[in-house]
Amino acid sequence: MIKKILIANRGEIAVRIIRACREMGIETVAVYSEADKEALHTKLADEAVCIGPAPSKDSYLSMDRIISATIVTGADAIHPGFGFLSENSKFAKLCEDCGIIFIGPDSDVIARLGNKQEARNTMINAGVPVIPGSTEAIYDAKVGAKIAEEIGYPVIVKAALGGGGKGMRVANAPEEFENAFQTAQKETQMAFGDDTMYIEHFVEEPRHIEFQILADKYGNVVHLGERDCSIQRNHQKMIEESPSIALSDELREKMGQKAVMAAKAAGYENAGTIEFLLEKNGNFYFMEMNTRIQVEHPVTEWVTGIDLIKEQIKIADGRKLGFEQKDIHLNGHAIECRINAENPQKGFMPSPGTIKDMYLPGGKGIRIDSAIYSGYTIPPYYDSMVAKLIVWAKNRKEAIRKMQSALGEIIIEGIDTNVDYQYEILHHPDYLEGNIDIGFIENM
Amino acid sequence: MNLDNVFKKTRQISGRKNYIHLGRRKPEVPEGLLRKCNKCGSAIIAEDVKNGYYICPECGGYFRVDAYRRIDMIADEGSFVEWDEELETKNPLQYKGYEEKIEMLQKRTGLKEAVVTGEAKIDGNPTAVAVCDGRFMMASMGEVVGEKITRAVERATKKRLPVIIFACSGGARMQEGIVSLMQMAKTSAALKRHSDAGLLYISVLTDPTTGGVTASFAMLGDIILAEPKALIGFAGPRVIEQTIGQKLPKGFQRSEFLLEHGFIDEIVERPKMKEELGKILRLHREGCDFKSQEENEQKGKNSSSDEQKMCGGNESSKPAWDRVLTSRKKDRPVGSDYIRLLFEDFTEFHGDRLFGDDPAIIGGIAIFKDRPVTVIAQEKGSNTRENIYRNFAMPSPEGYRKALRLMKQAEKFKRPVICLVDTPGAFCGLEAEERGQGEAIARNLYELSNLETPILSIVIGEGGSGGALALAVSDEVWMLENSIYSILSPEGFASILWKDSTKAKEAASVMKLTAKDLKALGIIERILEEPENYNVQTMEPVTEALAGNIDQFLATYAKLSVTELTTHRYERFRKM
Repeated sequence: MIKKILIANRGEIAVRIIRACREMGIETVAVYSEADKEALHTKLADEAVCIGPAPSKDSYLSMDRIISATIVTGADAIHPGFGFLSENSKFAKLCEDCGIIFIGPDSDVIARLGNKQEARNTMINAGVPVIPGSTEAIYDAKVGAKIAEEIGYPVIVKAALGGGGKGMRVANAPEEFENAFQTAQKETQMAFGDDTMYIEHFVEEPRHIEFQILADKYGNVVHLGERDCSIQRNHQKMIEESPSIALSDELREKMGQKAVMAAKAAGYENAGTIEFLLEKNGNFYFMEMNTRIQVEHPVTEWVTGIDLIKEQIKIADGRKLGFEQKDIHLNGHAIECRINAENPQKGFMPSPGTIKDMYLPGGKGIRIDSAIYSGYTIPPYYDSMVAKLIVWAKNRKEAIRKMQSALGEIIIEGIDTNVDYQYEILHHPDYLEGNIDIGFIENM
Repeated sequence: MNLDNVFKKTRQISGRKNYIHLGRRKPEVPEGLLRKCNKCGSAIIAEDVKNGYYICPECGGYFRVDAYRRIDMIADEGSFVEWDEELETKNPLQYKGYEEKIEMLQKRTGLKEAVVTGEAKIDGNPTAVAVCDGRFMMASMGEVVGEKITRAVERATKKRLPVIIFACSGGARMQEGIVSLMQMAKTSAALKRHSDAGLLYISVLTDPTTGGVTASFAMLGDIILAEPKALIGFAGPRVIEQTIGQKLPKGFQRSEFLLEHGFIDEIVERPKMKEELGKILRLHREGCDFKSQEENEQKGKNSSSDEQKMCGGNESSKPAWDRVLTSRKKDRPVGSDYIRLLFEDFTEFHGDRLFGDDPAIIGGIAIFKDRPVTVIAQEKGSNTRENIYRNFAMPSPEGYRKALRLMKQAEKFKRPVICLVDTPGAFCGLEAEERGQGEAIARNLYELSNLETPILSIVIGEGGSGGALALAVSDEVWMLENSIYSILSPEGFASILWKDSTKAKEAASVMKLTAKDLKALGIIERILEEPENYNVQTMEPVTEALAGNIDQFLATYAKLSVTELTTHRYERFRKM
């Protein structure tokens, strides 16, 4: 039985995990960098270990230091959260080799799903629809142009090892291809030290629909419905909701089934997310599988009533899922807004600094996951997300009202935030109509 | 808000005192999973080190590599056949405890002695290899190490194979005393015979190469490569510090230091070592020198065919001074531009093996139309920063000595030499005199006069005096239309003869320094036309013409015997 968990992360997700552990009676170990001495996760955990200087590569990404901290404190498991080492198969393998429970799937599953080409092949074999695209790695623009012709324009060029929008370019017509390919490849080489590219059909004006799944060690897999994450800026999600108004019950069931098939095909265990692109005509395509907890997990928690972090820990501890697919019903509507320390007027420039004063809303149907407090100094080294505001109501309309109201109540002084920007989105006629796709922010 | 110790602990809120142990294995790091980098102190995953050429993924520092892994890294799979593995270590001094130590090390390392020798292929090129293994008494050279290396070199000589030795050693093996010292002489002597047979020896220095090994086989390579930041020296840094009572500067006796001081040809990163060795071996393959090639081709084409149209020049009326200015123009192509466009696989070698490496001269081997050639160029650089780094192509004595070393190497391996001349003159300065600028130039004239391989010199810009002649004691000298070649700069000429350097323009017109004048005087053989606005963008017609003419030159001179060749060169200057 897991008695002590080391949380290899920081910020609100570390706090979220610590809270789940506290409720389960599991002791917690926080790790922190020198810049995070005063961070909430450092203070809230039962124990805290400093693992190095501020830059992530010397602290939150330092595998050996995190492993050492785990062994020294006698923790039996590591929860990686999201980002940092959460999808690093080498780290998961290291945990396995040291007899530490890695709360997540097996290292080889992470490795397989982390390689886009391999993940895609797995899905094709499992009968999960994928976007038409190149079947082999492409290194050369001329070869790529030929394949793009076969796939049909518009096409998108992507890095095999890519992520977060790095190494991606769209070509709308053959004459744009070479430039798009070379720019993407150069970026890929810089970011990942690899120039393996692939090309696929570019799905126009799609929605980003993802399915949450849970899988235990015994082959039981359920999906917990979808999240609509179409409101994105530069491939970074800003607002997520569940359920999506674009999905009929039939489509939800169909996509959910495919998501479960995908997880089974991958030999998946623990919580994971299958991301799809949904075209206007109802066609959907597998994009990728995220082998970790997601930022936007609270919206699913609220409409399903399931605590995903606790489920993750239970699964890692070898317990069977306590429910089946027929027990899962989506109740009401939940929306999450990510609150970032950034200045939308200055091109969303990050705005670290000290929070002089703050006031956060509360009340029925309002949840805030955050790691900030009055007097806290947000360090400049990490992600700019400082809080997540999640609301729940009976239906989308009421949920939007609640979100509008809550956003209108937030006060964070001392730093710039995107609260007003989110407030604007929540009043945009297209958003209110649910008339959204992943180009929403760009076209706003 | 201060949050120190304000939150209740999990044990308090859950009310639990102690957990019941279920006997699960406590997490621990298994033996061998992690290893520590002794350069940066990071713990790193052993597997990553193994799969990453034994380079620390954190700091890029090099781990030492044992002999068989090294062979795996450079040899084609399954190509290695070991030689002399059975040789037994003796105890010539009857030194107490020596046998026990050897036995213990043999058990621990699985090696018989500190060097592994044999034959392998690298990118398909057969070669003899010897690799020292630092785990075995720091690969110090006792009788067996010396004997194995000597036997490997002798066998390579007999089989006409190149030799590659990866050196890594603490030096001589103290426990074997004077017998160990003799190994230095023995290995060197074997290498001398190997070299006299016209065969290639590549020495690769790895961390650490010191003492008697540095002072013997390690420093005798035709080509000496080194891994980055390897400690290389005769006396160890600690010994030096104790002797002179001073702290040594950072980077002292490291590969980079040796490169700067002219003792190694190039630093090669470990992941590129195999490729580099393969390339060098390919360039030295038996029977691929220009003579054998010409013979094989059986002269399909008529070599003395119509002269390539590039003769004369179309603006013959241009005043000499204009040509002086053109030859010095900032955007005029420089040596490295020609190397890039005329040759393939250029591999630069550094250093004079005496004092330093002169950036004003670049040299190395390359492929010209399937033939290996040695290329030497005076290099000005293409922007102000490069100009300064290259000292405006004014070579120092070490530059001429490097050029001579590479030309001697070309002679040994029967490669023709192509020199690209472009210098305002040899560097005029204090240090240059201290190190014997005059001697260096004189030595080149002397040695080049009977170098037993064809030499072609092409003046591409300024041919300034003795500084240019040191690379132009050749079988033929060609000039680009707007290049100049003279005893002195027109400014200097005017100043010496007329005590007025402003009369440079007049001087230029009487000095006979243009290509046309020099051709008429019989100083040069050929003039190559230049396009108007000659720069890197408009080089193609010139390099094309050059390529055709060089091809013809090589074909013509390949037909001459060594005596005919050197006699021709002698006569060329004898009549001047």
